[in-house]
Amino acid sequence: MLKNYLKITWRNLLKNKGFTAINIAGLAIGMASAALILFWVQNEVSYDQFHQDKDRLYQMYNRSVFDGKLWCWGTTPKIMRSALKQDYPQIEQVARTNKCNFLFTLGEKHLTLAGNYTDPDFLTMFSFPLIKGNPKTALNDMKNIILTEKTAKKLFGDEDVMGKTIKIDSVDYFTVTGIMKDLPNNTQFDFEYLMPWTYMEKVDKQVEKNWGNNSVQTWALLKPGITEAAINAQVKDITRKNSEIKDIDVFMHPATKWHLYSKFENGKIVGGRIETIRLFSIIAGLILLIACINFMNLSTARSEKRAKEVGIRKVVGALKGSLIAQFLGESIMIAFFAGILALIIVQLSLSGFNNLTDKHLIIPYDSPVFWLISLSFILFTGVLSGSYPALYLSSFVPVKVLKGTFKEPNAVFSPRKILVVLQFMCAIVFIISTIIIKEQLEYAQNRDTGYKKNNLVYTFMTGNIEKNYRLIRNELLTSGAAVAVSKTSAPMTEGWSDTWDYTWQGKQEGAKIDFNMYNTDGSFTKTMGLKVIEGRDIDAEKYPSDSLAVLLNEASVKIMGFKHPVGQIVVNNGTKLTVVGVVKDFILQSPYEPVRPMIIQGPKSWFAVIHYKLNEKNTTAKNLQLAEAVFKKFNSEYPFDYHFVDDEYALKFKDEQRTGTLATLFAGLTIFISCLGLFGLATYMAQNRIKEIGVRKVLGASVFGVSSMLSKDFLKLVGIAFLIATPLAWWGMYTWLQGYTYRVPISIWVFVTAAAVTVIISIITVSFQAIKAALANPVKSLRSE
Amino acid sequence: MIKITNLEKFYRTEEVETIALNKLSMEVNTGEFVAIMGPSGCGKSTLLNILGMLDDPDAGSYVFNGVEIAHFNERKRADLRKHNIGFVFQSFNLIDELTVFENVELPLIYTGVSSADRVKRVEEVLDKMQIMHRRNHYPQQLSGGQQQRVAIARAVVNKPKLILADEPTGNLDSSNGNDVMELLTDLNEQGTTIIMVTHSEHDARYSHRIIRLLDGQTVMENIMV
Repeated sequence: MLKNYLKITWRNLLKNKGFTAINIAGLAIGMASAALILFWVQNEVSYDQFHQDKDRLYQMYNRSVFDGKLWCWGTTPKIMRSALKQDYPQIEQVARTNKCNFLFTLGEKHLTLAGNYTDPDFLTMFSFPLIKGNPKTALNDMKNIILTEKTAKKLFGDEDVMGKTIKIDSVDYFTVTGIMKDLPNNTQFDFEYLMPWTYMEKVDKQVEKNWGNNSVQTWALLKPGITEAAINAQVKDITRKNSEIKDIDVFMHPATKWHLYSKFENGKIVGGRIETIRLFSIIAGLILLIACINFMNLSTARSEKRAKEVGIRKVVGALKGSLIAQFLGESIMIAFFAGILALIIVQLSLSGFNNLTDKHLIIPYDSPVFWLISLSFILFTGVLSGSYPALYLSSFVPVKVLKGTFKEPNAVFSPRKILVVLQFMCAIVFIISTIIIKEQLEYAQNRDTGYKKNNLVYTFMTGNIEKNYRLIRNELLTSGAAVAVSKTSAPMTEGWSDTWDYTWQGKQEGAKIDFNMYNTDGSFTKTMGLKVIEGRDIDAEKYPSDSLAVLLNEASVKIMGFKHPVGQIVVNNGTKLTVVGVVKDFILQSPYEPVRPMIIQGPKSWFAVIHYKLNEKNTTAKNLQLAEAVFKKFNSEYPFDYHFVDDEYALKFKDEQRTGTLATLFAGLTIFISCLGLFGLATYMAQNRIKEIGVRKVLGASVFGVSSMLSKDFLKLVGIAFLIATPLAWWGMYTWLQGYTYRVPISIWVFVTAAAVTVIISIITVSFQAIKAALANPVKSLRSE
Repeated sequence: MIKITNLEKFYRTEEVETIALNKLSMEVNTGEFVAIMGPSGCGKSTLLNILGMLDDPDAGSYVFNGVEIAHFNERKRADLRKHNIGFVFQSFNLIDELTVFENVELPLIYTGVSSADRVKRVEEVLDKMQIMHRRNHYPQQLSGGQQQRVAIARAVVNKPKLILADEPTGNLDSSNGNDVMELLTDLNEQGTTIIMVTHSEHDARYSHRIIRLLDGQTVMENIMV
């Protein structure tokens, strides 16, 4: 019996090569897309779930009221660890982590690597196994370092590195005491090496005991049997008990929620990554469904061809059940071929997908679970796409089909029509979303930044740069590499600090107004290409009192309520600062948000970055070459490192760009798969109506008349799909845009464009078959009776 | 073998109700060869479908081999049908994707005959129908006469007690038609009961008895000599 089924399936597939190709290609693309998304989802939900003690692992969080709202954040005071260790016997281990960046020197090799400072407990709390070294002792000494396998290879090649010495930042020598297995692709931790916390205290030259400075992450492992609720009741008061700060609650965020549920609103978890995962899972399901719908539609459209077979089988004794089994078997077989093709597609597109999603996903070919899941996936797809056709085909009554009187009903609401509408509805929603996402992206990208990004470069002040700053600045200018240089506290594209500790004349008593803080030593407006609206730039060389001068931006002037800002006094932390100028608002942080009030302080403050405007008379390559020579001369131990501000600024759009690319991809795929199905349906429709077309032509219908008659039916379905899709897409995109203060309005043209695109694509798809049918010689079709 | 009494069948559409069989009664004995004749729309095919258990009557009784089956469900009817009845159609109704051999083998698969037995029996019957040399061809590669031989082979491979033939020569030229009628006569002589619907007086003459239908009722019975 099975052999008989397989035989007839195989022959059917071969006989209708066109439809087999459409079916398999459509299903394969759908399966591949769904599989890629599911790979991604699987990776996301497995984040940090591999830690053996994940059920007992927590991150310390703070909760407090600002501007009338309850905020939660995951950075803590450094001192919190010792308080946790001392006073809470329920806690087994505590470790802190903090990022660090050092120049590693090994002979002639110089590498800047990013790592973490951490406490020794880290190695036993988390499941990051050491290949070499003892996790209990590896970080005990201040000059110990643990390298990941990759880092060890980068530095030493294939040598055995245990016990070897590395020079760090040209000041200290560290001994390698452990090699850690490379971090898996599903952890939030990201470091190339681990250093002892004690070394950070040495660099900082103090053991900080301030409960008000939240700058590190603290992780805790509870003893078995302690519940989250119980420990949270205990640690809530830890800050109050140990300091003067009275308005901060502390709580623990469990490892099972770190990655997926990390968005807090008003003190409660409201979601986070999980929302994207849900959305993507739905999209995966939809794409697979759309592909399955193709299969359903094509199989049932071809039912007239299969009807006779069903009738005969029933006459000679087949029951409905065995026919259902036969047709399901067919669809599973097709799904199987599609599955193989899908696997090839996934393998081929995985690196592109990884680029797009910033992941390192791999197909686990050696995992039996993977194959088991793949087979179930194929089976699921086969049953999903085959169940409706199987029920439909197996219910034919032999008396009718064998007499040749069988004709499909042409109902107003046939399931096939509903399915086509569903497909195009999804496609149109994706198209509209894509257009709006791209519009929003463009809208934000075209927003005036307020300064001139081109040819603006910055370099972080490492090693001796700060010490030799004046020399470096002068040589950058005299060598002709740069036309202006300014030392600042942060890159032009990042807001590193903010404070509400400013007072001025006329400030409301008790008002908490937050300002972005930024520092410059001078030449700020010239280097950045900023517009001075009032007053002048800070220039301590010309005006020695300018070491305590400040610039305001327009937003600051407005919020401070100054009519004549220049000459006003602003007090920060007891220091009196004089306003010497006002600059036009410029975007420091998010291009989607309004510009925040900002105060730019003069030379008597701290610095971290040098900005320099390259000389437009030289080529960029030449400028960089000159600049490199300058930096090498005054900071020889460090490699020359530079960042173009326009590149960094472009990174602000990375998320939206990714969303846009993904939406385009989804829209393209759904419309492609839908059209594939539409093409197949049109083909069958043309075949089924061949006699009608013949008669019409004999009676004088034109080719145009016939082909538009055939196309009209399908366009109606696309039209209905559009009507349903429009409000859905509007609502979805309206909700998405609410996340941006600076957002594009949704215009009617988006919908008009989407409608036009869909209609044109479907006309092209359908009319090919319609015109072919209309052009056929009626004599042939009528004779075939 | 067959006894029907007061059999009724209606067809309803939205506007009209058509009576296909109007209190029809008849009997067919084992070993008989009966022809059913009548103009288009007289109910011949409806009767044949009900006799073949492909359709059920709206009223009346149908006793097959002493068992009342008028109210059998689909499963029981299918079971009874596949062991007892073979069908021959005007348009042959062979499955295009299966070879001659596989088409004939089909009923044996559904009655659960073992693979080795199937080969033996199919070969036997193909030999008898003189189409053994075509066993690996597909229906489209055969002439009409050959296709009908395959269809008859398929109808008899399960050794049914009854063969129902619906205008078996309707799509054939007279020479091929005669061959088919000879085949049916042979089968009948070997003991198979045959009920045949036909428009052809010529074909009807091969039978023992002609039942003439009009408007769903028996109007005349001729006994052939």
